[in-house]
Amino acid sequence: MGILANGRRRRWRAEMADEVDPRTRVNQKLWVLRIVIVLAFIALTVQLARLQLVQGHEFQQRAALNQLRIEPVVPSRGLIYDRNGVPVVENVPGFSAAIVAADIPKESELTIAGGLQDLLGVPAVETTMKIEAARDSLDPFTPVIIKDGLDEPTAFHVREQLPAMPGVQIVVDPVRHYTGGDVLSDVLGYTGRVDEEDFAALKDKGYIASDRIGKAGVEAQYQQYLRGSVGRKEIEKDASGREIRTLATDPSKPGNDLVLSIDLDLQKKATELVQASANGGQGAAVVMDVHTGEVLALVSLPMYDNNIFSGKIDETKLEQYLNDPKKPLVNHALAEQYAPGSIFKQITGAAALQEGVANPSTTITSHGYIQIPNQYDPSIRYTFKDWRELGTLDFYGGIAMSSDVYFYYLSGGYHAYGENFDGLGIERLARYARQFGLGRLTGIDIAGEAEGNIPDEAWKKKTFGDDWFLGDTYNMGIGQGFVAATPIQMVRVTAAVANGGTLLTPRVVSEVRDANGHVVVPNTPKIEGSVGVSGANLAILRDAMTQAVSWGSANAGAVAGLKVAGKTGTAEFGTPHADGTSDTHAWFSGFAPADDPQIAVTVFLENGVGAIDAAPLASKILDYYFHRQLQRTDGGVAGAPVGVTP
Amino acid sequence: MNLRNSPTREFDFILLLAAVGLTIYGALLIYSGSLTTYGSPGQALSHPVSRQIVFAALGLAAMLMFSRIDYRLLGPLSLTLYVVSIAALLFVLAVGSSAYGSRRWIIIAGTQVQPSEIAKITTVIMLAKFFSDNEGNMASLRVFATSMVIAAVPAALVLVEPDLGSALVFGIIWLAMVLIAGPRPLHLGALVAVGAALAPIAVFVIGHDYQKARFDSWLHPDKDPLGSGFNILQAQTSIGSGGLLGKGFTHGTQTQLHYLRTQTTDYVFSVGAEELGFIGAMILFALFIALLFRCLRVAGLADDSFGRLIAVGVMSFILFQVFINIGVNIRLVPVTGVPLPLVSQGGSSLITVLGSLGLLQSILGHRRKRSRRT
Repeated sequence: MGILANGRRRRWRAEMADEVDPRTRVNQKLWVLRIVIVLAFIALTVQLARLQLVQGHEFQQRAALNQLRIEPVVPSRGLIYDRNGVPVVENVPGFSAAIVAADIPKESELTIAGGLQDLLGVPAVETTMKIEAARDSLDPFTPVIIKDGLDEPTAFHVREQLPAMPGVQIVVDPVRHYTGGDVLSDVLGYTGRVDEEDFAALKDKGYIASDRIGKAGVEAQYQQYLRGSVGRKEIEKDASGREIRTLATDPSKPGNDLVLSIDLDLQKKATELVQASANGGQGAAVVMDVHTGEVLALVSLPMYDNNIFSGKIDETKLEQYLNDPKKPLVNHALAEQYAPGSIFKQITGAAALQEGVANPSTTITSHGYIQIPNQYDPSIRYTFKDWRELGTLDFYGGIAMSSDVYFYYLSGGYHAYGENFDGLGIERLARYARQFGLGRLTGIDIAGEAEGNIPDEAWKKKTFGDDWFLGDTYNMGIGQGFVAATPIQMVRVTAAVANGGTLLTPRVVSEVRDANGHVVVPNTPKIEGSVGVSGANLAILRDAMTQAVSWGSANAGAVAGLKVAGKTGTAEFGTPHADGTSDTHAWFSGFAPADDPQIAVTVFLENGVGAIDAAPLASKILDYYFHRQLQRTDGGVAGAPVGVTP
Repeated sequence: MNLRNSPTREFDFILLLAAVGLTIYGALLIYSGSLTTYGSPGQALSHPVSRQIVFAALGLAAMLMFSRIDYRLLGPLSLTLYVVSIAALLFVLAVGSSAYGSRRWIIIAGTQVQPSEIAKITTVIMLAKFFSDNEGNMASLRVFATSMVIAAVPAALVLVEPDLGSALVFGIIWLAMVLIAGPRPLHLGALVAVGAALAPIAVFVIGHDYQKARFDSWLHPDKDPLGSGFNILQAQTSIGSGGLLGKGFTHGTQTQLHYLRTQTTDYVFSVGAEELGFIGAMILFALFIALLFRCLRVAGLADDSFGRLIAVGVMSFILFQVFINIGVNIRLVPVTGVPLPLVSQGGSSLITVLGSLGLLQSILGHRRKRSRRT
């Protein structure tokens, strides 16, 4: 059989016909198909079991990650009130368009960028670049702002288009709206989007890339208080990144509120008054509580509108500010330094009394100038002028009439033509100037201060490679030459004279409170130290300054019904004109009431004369402060903080 | 042999139950998959579930109708049916409406009709007729080659649409039927050899760019997780996260939050696997295995080779589509769009499959009673 079968196998047709029942053959094939079915389903089942049973847990996590996002809840920024509880800023909703790279399908990237170009006018190239950059970053889930400061209709219009643009979001976050007006811009500053550099440092402190932080003024200085703490929100999102529901929230903690030491009412009035006197030029005025260092008004002209930085920055206006030669964005009360002129005589006088160089009865005669011979060639004489021939003056007269000759003697001494008067000398004069806080930052809680300059021999050698001459000491003694100071430094000097010698750190924020009104940082004066001049000597100086106002050169600073003490200053600056005169800054620095000082005021005008321009201005500010204050029925005392109920 | 000519009138209720079970299973998944887009199926006839139910009713009516008609009547009609469906495929290429970059549909009375679905059963009938007519002549190369052409024409036409998945279905139909018909092994061997030689050339020369891209994203879906790899990754995540018991009907996060795309058609299996889990998938598999085995039972019981070949053809295209569709979902095979028979949303496929099963009922019910006792 075997041989036979072998032989027949070659004849295929015959084999089929003869040997096998076709029905059995078909059934065999059907069995093969049954096995195929079973094998197919085994293959499917094995792979399915691998996904669902073996790797199920992993995929469950992946599915959860798919729809769960943990998003920071940005806290609402603390509010700011003036010392009387008047709110000066509010948080208003700001709209911006953002993209979340992780939610944008690669193939629709261009369509979406094009759509945003049509809707918002943002070039598609710019958007694409931002998407790509975010995609390549470690955190493609964080919204990246495409356009800031959308107005409400635009924001709603874009929001309607969102279903067609997966990964695009309208971000609503609070922006600052300053209600106090331009007068507070220099104090408050502004906020803005955190830039890349800042963000690198802030990332670990719970900040997000689209956060806003204080960029200038109090907003920057008190950022850590105003910020509050970030919360977290666990949300469920669908495939196009739309929020479905919130699953869990760890609420944010609102920022702390600030109570300014600024009196908004006084600030407005003072600004108005300085504006009237400044004739469009630069000007500054600072009113300070002489006991606490609280700044009641801080004026810097020209002003700027800090609301242009909220939301989308107003580029046109910003450009205008940046190109303005009067530098409105600079705080002239503390960021710019000028020659203080005669108001510096407070320091020369105090130092001379303390060092025994002078006493109240020290008399010096002003012939209108003094001359000193060249030390090598006596035939050459140098002349130092007084502002006029003032005759013989004692210490009170010297201050009251602001005699330059008197203070040449006190600062540099006079040893010529038979006279022999020992002065302070540069070393002691500079030391006292520094004891009064000049030549360094006052530490006021607004960034951007200038240090000013107190020169000495070493400084001149280093700066100009030149020796220090007697004439340099004379110039410094009357606040000219190399001396430079800011209005905030000078108000502190006068406050120290007024309060008996305590050097205070000026503050524009008196208190920090949490959202429930509990005090976080109490209102306590910050004392930097003592000016190193005895109370008795400062009393003499106060007396002299009182006389300056009552009958002397600062007479224009007088206020009816108020005893004012003060000192004017007219500081020459720039190159002298052909006729020998120079442009001058006008200063006045004083305090009131003279016998029980409460506040010190320093005013500065870029162009003017102390007695003619600055003194009347200070007089008006003091008049407003005290007489408005006296009209109050509650009898609130100047300088005492008034309760605030935010 | 004692033959009696009265039909058996047998009706396979298990086959019917399996088909109806799968259809209901599908309708439930379509309901869940369209829940967030359409809400509950109400009065609106445009809702996918309502539409699917209407198509299922039509399909069941077709099934009952075909089961009553003697399938042998289709023999003389087979060529006509075949030619008409080929014409429909040509028509679709000329004026069909496109979706996702390919032309697959024509609109008849406001309804999208997919001629390639209907062509599957007409090709099965045509091949069954051809093979049974040439039963004694299977060793002929002419017969072998002609049968290949019969399957290749519709396959080529759907490939141009382009619809690789459906083209492969025609190939599988032919392969299963020719094996049952009993070809000469030499021919098959030669075909396999030629095919193997041409395959790489075909892939690189005529392979559509988009097929290549699909293949590439199947291997490396992570390259573009938000683009071409999105569906693959999300389907895998949906299925895997379903675990043993699933997340509960209508509670699949992937499905309900639209991470899963085309979730009522190509990826309907992922909806089930996510929401009903491994257990739910096993129930689906059991229903399919029951259905396919009952198809083979018909093949085994069929009176003649015409009926037997039809049964095998129908079984093979159902099996192949189930395997490919689920295989795509679980990333066992590259992305190829074929519907999951009876389950995926789509009237043409549902009615074709249910109607084909009616044909099988007819094969079962129109056997001549005969006694094998002599």
